[in-house]
Amino acid sequence: MISITNLILVFLFGSLISYLLTKTNKVLGSIFNFLISSYALFYVWNVNVGKTEKLFNVFGDIESSLKVTYLGKFFAIVSFLVLAFVSFFIIDWIRSNSKNSAAFNAFYLLMAGGSLGVFFANDLITLYIFWEIAVLGSFLIIPMGNKDSKKAAINYAVMSAIGSYMYLFATFSIFNRYGVISFDRVINKLSNESSTSYIWFIILFISSAGIVKSGIFPLHTWLRKAYGSSPDAFTAAFSGQLSKLGSYVLAISFAVFPTMKLFPQFYHGIPTLNYLLIWLGNISIILGTFMAIRQNDMKQLIAYSSIANGGYILIGLASLDSIGFAGGLFHVFNHAIISVMVFLSFALVILRTGTSKIDEMGGLIWRMPMTFVTYLVGIISLAGIPPTSGFISKWMIFNTLVRKGMFITAAIAFIGSVGSFLYVFRPLAGVFLGQLKKKHYNLKEGSFIMLLPMLLMVALTVLLGVYPKPILDLIVSVETELGIKPLEHSGIIIKTPLGSWNTLTVFIMFAVGFIIALVLYLLFPKAKKVELTNQYTGAEFLYNYDLYHYATGFYRFIERLYDKHPSFEKLYEMVSTFFKSMGDFITGLVYKTGPSGYVFWISIIILIIYWVRW
Amino acid sequence: MINTILKVMAVLFTGFFVGLTLEGVARKVIARIQRRYGPPWYQNFIDLFKTFSKHGITHGWIFDFGVLMALGGTIATLAFVPLGNLIAFPGLDNVFIILYLWAIGALGMAMGMVGSGNPNASIGVARALTQMMGYEVPYLVVLAGVMFYYKTSSVSALMYSQADKWTLLKMPIGGIIAFVSLMGMLGKKPFDTPIAPAEIASGPMVELSAKYMGFLMLMHTFSIFVEISMFVNIFLGISNYFTFLIKFTIVWILATMISAVLPRFRIEQVVKFYWKVPLSLAFVQVLFVLLGWVF
Repeated sequence: MISITNLILVFLFGSLISYLLTKTNKVLGSIFNFLISSYALFYVWNVNVGKTEKLFNVFGDIESSLKVTYLGKFFAIVSFLVLAFVSFFIIDWIRSNSKNSAAFNAFYLLMAGGSLGVFFANDLITLYIFWEIAVLGSFLIIPMGNKDSKKAAINYAVMSAIGSYMYLFATFSIFNRYGVISFDRVINKLSNESSTSYIWFIILFISSAGIVKSGIFPLHTWLRKAYGSSPDAFTAAFSGQLSKLGSYVLAISFAVFPTMKLFPQFYHGIPTLNYLLIWLGNISIILGTFMAIRQNDMKQLIAYSSIANGGYILIGLASLDSIGFAGGLFHVFNHAIISVMVFLSFALVILRTGTSKIDEMGGLIWRMPMTFVTYLVGIISLAGIPPTSGFISKWMIFNTLVRKGMFITAAIAFIGSVGSFLYVFRPLAGVFLGQLKKKHYNLKEGSFIMLLPMLLMVALTVLLGVYPKPILDLIVSVETELGIKPLEHSGIIIKTPLGSWNTLTVFIMFAVGFIIALVLYLLFPKAKKVELTNQYTGAEFLYNYDLYHYATGFYRFIERLYDKHPSFEKLYEMVSTFFKSMGDFITGLVYKTGPSGYVFWISIIILIIYWVRW
Repeated sequence: MINTILKVMAVLFTGFFVGLTLEGVARKVIARIQRRYGPPWYQNFIDLFKTFSKHGITHGWIFDFGVLMALGGTIATLAFVPLGNLIAFPGLDNVFIILYLWAIGALGMAMGMVGSGNPNASIGVARALTQMMGYEVPYLVVLAGVMFYYKTSSVSALMYSQADKWTLLKMPIGGIIAFVSLMGMLGKKPFDTPIAPAEIASGPMVELSAKYMGFLMLMHTFSIFVEISMFVNIFLGISNYFTFLIKFTIVWILATMISAVLPRFRIEQVVKFYWKVPLSLAFVQVLFVLLGWVF
């Protein structure tokens, strides 16, 4: 086994090799990416917890180092699971990517290397450096998407900068005050800190980096644009892996920094700061759910859903309860693999049809059945329906909210959960079901290489929904490490003070129900297969069945109720317009188009210089 | 093992026979309210066996698969529901499991029906999902209050904790809201917007024929059984198998009678209603629970 430092160096230099390899042959470079990512997955799965490595010196005596913790290991496993699968998909997908493939592959590895460093960083500065590497990699990939992507990239960079500079500010402040930056020493110093407002400032500013990355209100606006217009296969890694960096920082600021001891408890054992942030999570859930219901662009729809799911993760992690925290961590894993399933199936659909608008498609199930199955299982998991793994995490979060008597948060979580049925059904009905458009008659299913990672993810989510032990074991070790009472489970039975449930029994019962239905189905007379155009039309004569597809304004009747919603996106746009016009004003003042303006300014400056007698 | 299988079979057969019978009775009740004679009580059995004997049409594999998933999911859900003291899976009958497992049947139906390619079905499904968002939230908030109060989320444990008094009497506001939500779940008027025969040709059911129709009739019967059983178990005190069926019949007939005299809401009115009145009352109820004002 090589050291972690070397593995990160492999990624950083590998990005250079990947660039050159992709220049010569696109597929070869992508295979290289896949091999490195899957080696990293193997590595982080087997890495020993507690391993420490010195890295470099930043400020003389302050040493940067890497340390493997259970928390970091959990996030690294989730990350590289996503990255390895997505890079396998890219092997074939990249052939259709006309421009910048070499840069795409290079930045992909750069991002992966950066996130590896983030998860194993042992101090605030190292985390920040690798964080910026990961952000840089993703920031450079986004403009390779569709025509809106350049704007989206800038938006993403600005939002990301807000978070990371707040984080950096807190880091410098800590260094200034205590002269230490490694996590355990900072925590030690913070525990003895007398000023409450300083603790508030530190934790809030550090968590803000996580809030931006996981798309929590009010810093969520980049998500729609960045997910909506980044390259299609990359969006899967973006949502599945990169936004989990944010969840990692949130987990650090809630649990590694002992908020339980630093802050007074506010409501049923939840610290004040966490309670405040839970409210941000609540707003994110409401906003993400209702905006997702409105979207006609399927990638933007799931982008909003990611905001809502970021809210669930935040609520779970912030509760710091043995079950709630486990639910939050499990939801990190679930949302990662759900993102892969959903966004990869979208990538395939967009590759074949060339559009991401829901109402421009329809009936694709008849041409792309495997893609449909991936999307279907993905959304079953996203909506949190058993027997997929998505239900387990949602159940844990609900369980905590009910047990702690947090009824408003619970109501919002329920709205988000039922609302997710609504928005995930919109692409299902609009893109995959319904009437097949005439122009899509000759579509082909994706190739085996593209379908394989998608179907493996489907198998994984069902398998872990029935037998969640591997993930639960990891979570238990994380909780033990962080001093949270570990979750009680026995592989398939999850025990909580509010009752338990058995994943296997639920699955078997569902299988039994399905078999009963199947037997009945086979027992009774066979039906005749008719064309999709053979429909009840209410005696209307139809000549164009493309129009007989209900996808435009799918939930118009409910959207109408909140058409005039307040929008933070608009608010930010107003702010940016303000700064832009200020800039225009100054530009107009300083940079005159004619020579007379320059003469004017030069004479003024010369006068000033004479006046002060330099 | 054998014991569990026998209990599951008992639950399913109860669902089948009692459910279909009561649906027939409901038709009779509605007819009498409207001063008609009405069909015999066993009419639904006749309908079901008739549909199963016919040769129908299908719109491809997703149509078939959706129907199978719908019935399979609902059968699975029903097996977890305790019928009085007839509990197939003691300790595993979690409220959330039952509600979310039921959703897989609903998703199967929605998927299969939209897969038929008829826009009426899509509109019906879109409405049904929207209506779900309406009734599910106040219902879940009330149930959260009940679960918080009794410190358990197992349906049978919730039933057995009502030894001194029914939850309906302890938390009257919650009980009424749960009943109003139950009306929405059952798709009874004024909340029958997703079906709306005159507007969208029975919505999701528009393309169904023969055994497909039969499957969804069965699914509907089982769903009704799941929904009302939840209400009876959680709110109407401890019951054994027979008292459970009596309470079940009373709730069902009451819901039918109320629905027989009401017109239909538009879909956005449904959501507005549920989120204005029952949801705010649900918050009042959980506030009472938090303050300890439980009678």
